[in-house]
Amino acid sequence: MNLTTFIVKRVLAAVPLLLGISVILFGVLHLAPGGPLDVYADIPGVSHEALENIKRELGLDQPLPVQYVKWLGAAARGQWGYSIRTGRPVAKDIRERMPATFLLGGTAFLLALAAALPLGILSAVRQYSVLDYTFTFLSFIGFSMPIFWLALMLQSLFAVHWQLLPSAGMYTIGDGGLADRLKHLALPASILSVAYMASWGRFTRASMLDVFGLDYIRTARAKGLGEREVIYRHALRNALVPVITIVALDFAGMISGAVITETIFAWPGMGRLFIESMNGRDYPVLMALLMIGSFALVAINLITDIVYSMVDARIRYD
Amino acid sequence: MQGLRRFVSRTIWSLCLVIPLAGMAAAQERGGTLTVALNYDLDTLDPYASGFLTDVQATFLAGLVAPDHDAQYVPVLAQEVPTLENGGIVLSEDGSKMTVTYHLRPGVKWADGEPVTSADVVFTWEAIKDPNYLGPEKDGTAEIERIETPDDLTAVIYYDGVYSGFKASLFTYGVLPKHALEGKDLNKDPYWDAPFGAGPFMVTEFSRGQHVIVERNPYYFETDANGVQLPYLDRIVFKIIPDSNTQTTQLRSGEVGFAYNVPYTSLATLRNTPNLEIISAKTLAFRHVTFNLRNELLADLAVRQAFAHAIDRTTLNRALGDYMLPIDTFVVSTFAYASDDVPTYGYDPELARQLLLDAGYAPGRDGVMEKDGKRLSFDFMTQAGRAEYETAQQVLIAQLKAIGIELKPDNKAGAALSEARRNGGFDVWYSGWITPADPIDSYVSFYATNGFNNGGAYSNPAADAALYAAAGSLDPEEVEARMHEAQQIVLSDLPSIPLFETPSIVVTTNKLQGFVSNPTNQTNFRQVAPWWLAK
Repeated sequence: MNLTTFIVKRVLAAVPLLLGISVILFGVLHLAPGGPLDVYADIPGVSHEALENIKRELGLDQPLPVQYVKWLGAAARGQWGYSIRTGRPVAKDIRERMPATFLLGGTAFLLALAAALPLGILSAVRQYSVLDYTFTFLSFIGFSMPIFWLALMLQSLFAVHWQLLPSAGMYTIGDGGLADRLKHLALPASILSVAYMASWGRFTRASMLDVFGLDYIRTARAKGLGEREVIYRHALRNALVPVITIVALDFAGMISGAVITETIFAWPGMGRLFIESMNGRDYPVLMALLMIGSFALVAINLITDIVYSMVDARIRYD
Repeated sequence: MQGLRRFVSRTIWSLCLVIPLAGMAAAQERGGTLTVALNYDLDTLDPYASGFLTDVQATFLAGLVAPDHDAQYVPVLAQEVPTLENGGIVLSEDGSKMTVTYHLRPGVKWADGEPVTSADVVFTWEAIKDPNYLGPEKDGTAEIERIETPDDLTAVIYYDGVYSGFKASLFTYGVLPKHALEGKDLNKDPYWDAPFGAGPFMVTEFSRGQHVIVERNPYYFETDANGVQLPYLDRIVFKIIPDSNTQTTQLRSGEVGFAYNVPYTSLATLRNTPNLEIISAKTLAFRHVTFNLRNELLADLAVRQAFAHAIDRTTLNRALGDYMLPIDTFVVSTFAYASDDVPTYGYDPELARQLLLDAGYAPGRDGVMEKDGKRLSFDFMTQAGRAEYETAQQVLIAQLKAIGIELKPDNKAGAALSEARRNGGFDVWYSGWITPADPIDSYVSFYATNGFNNGGAYSNPAADAALYAAAGSLDPEEVEARMHEAQQIVLSDLPSIPLFETPSIVVTTNKLQGFVSNPTNQTNFRQVAPWWLAK
């Protein structure tokens, strides 16, 4: 069996997996107390009849299995339905939020990766050095720092005291040039990357140290290879395998939306859409968002497996 | 005592209103952009379908009438507010039905230049009433039998009964342009991406999750005393900023020039920021503790009375920032029929304990009062994540503990909260209400037996009779008498303890002039046309 057959098999296996996920998600969402129309009940002027009518029109009065089958039928044809909150096609609502989330998540991902890998490798190579201790200390601060607190402090510093960066939003209305967008991106992307930077850096360090203790590294040194060659050609490749797993799983989370960062920075991403839809029990939007998240996770797992085989010659799918 | 307090608070509030009005004496300058913080993720620009108050919608849709800064209705597209005296309201011979006539202002145009006519009024009613239209805010449509339009500027509305609250919703939120929407699916039409009406502004951009931009309506009908066309502002940008701390930061950095419902906790920081005005704006909102009478222990009046006497409003208010105004009844002081003559429950923990002892309760081993093995321990619900509510909850838990009643926090958010409060998924509930300028229908929904918002299952036929009589009368004296009666009954039965009237803290740039707050659910933006920015 070659790589192509492996991929085809995995893709086929993903279909029943996603179906199962969709049944569970649909059930859990409907089990949660409250429904999409409860939000309107906070307005004193909404009558019971009006709510009953909407319920009937949206099909919410039908038994759950019927609702699920209808949803599945439509989803299979690529129709995600209309949002109950906004009255617009779900696909449109989500498509508008995707670029913001991808931009923020993608930038934070690259930032975190660019900092975590070199720092992790360096502190492993120079174990117990000042650099190693400093990095360890900073990563523990990074993990344990509540994101919202750090965000508020940096907003206050950069936007209020120094007036260097905007405190929130994606661009200045009426500007929107590249420089303006980068300025808006700087704070949220840095803050979102902090925790990942710390965690991936620690992971890389630990993984490198594991590999350094193995016999083949001793062999490599014994046959007279330079230290650079030993670290980057021999140790790093193997040390990266577990790091890739963690990074990939985190990546799936990052592109599904970062709720806290998006809320604090008024960033119009999918994380905020999810929270708003959850509070409003907007079933069509929630199902679409959750299915996108699940799909991303399944896809990224597959990609990770493929990347393994490229990084680690011992892993072969046959 | 209460009369004095009300007098004092009225005086203070009227002073607050005088200051911005006095500022208008300076020459108004036309132009400029005001940036407003919107603290929720706006769902739709359709006011009849939105789950939020209509801040943005009030800038571009104009109704026939609207409540002003005193919650008194003033004409907008209509020439005058219909009343019995001016012949705008005519009762049928047997007094069971009413006919309301609106005369539209001549020469008013939509933001695209088409004339506003009585046909638009009929269209709005038909479009909202249509069962295929899914917006839930259909209040005020079902009671109308038909609308006649003898000419382009006259709409005669025939009601199937007598409704004192007829102005509250349909014709206040806004008349919709027939020529733009006729034959379209109002639920999904792209009109709602950049809607316009006959209001002072029109929407030019709605970027979901980010902002709404409204620009001057070139055809807006209102002018100032010198004949200058309103609005003064060129543009308002509503920035969607769901996090209240970020909102505070943006005010401090000058990125936002107007925010309302600013948390009391942010004020210490904002007071030290130059160039900001902090205004305590009166609203029709009030805070209350409501009991679920399905709970057999809470069904005991003595327990509820003890509960009321255990609450120290002064301390509670201090914990919340000292901005609230204590009240003894559920009618806020803006309304003339707020009663001074209701049973009051002053802070008196000794009396509270005594009431419980007299009712046969005795302190258990852990200090919580009990009777026949049943402890006075209740689930205490409020909105999760709302700092003010959660602070109030903590203070109330401590105050009730002092008399031997245990409260356990059980907080919910979003749809789960709405569902619980309507269906009685709580024992004790702390929350707030905001009513329209005609609040009686809301009181019916809170306290009448089948009231839509009566989640505590309160039921007293005498209260029902008084409330429905008030809701069905157009005679101010009759309304006042019936509302006094209703307040007397409800405050004696105590299904709910009114605690505070709640001002909204508005923070603006000190360049903003002409701002007068609006206390009703029609939002501050209902009278936005005369606002202006000093250079």
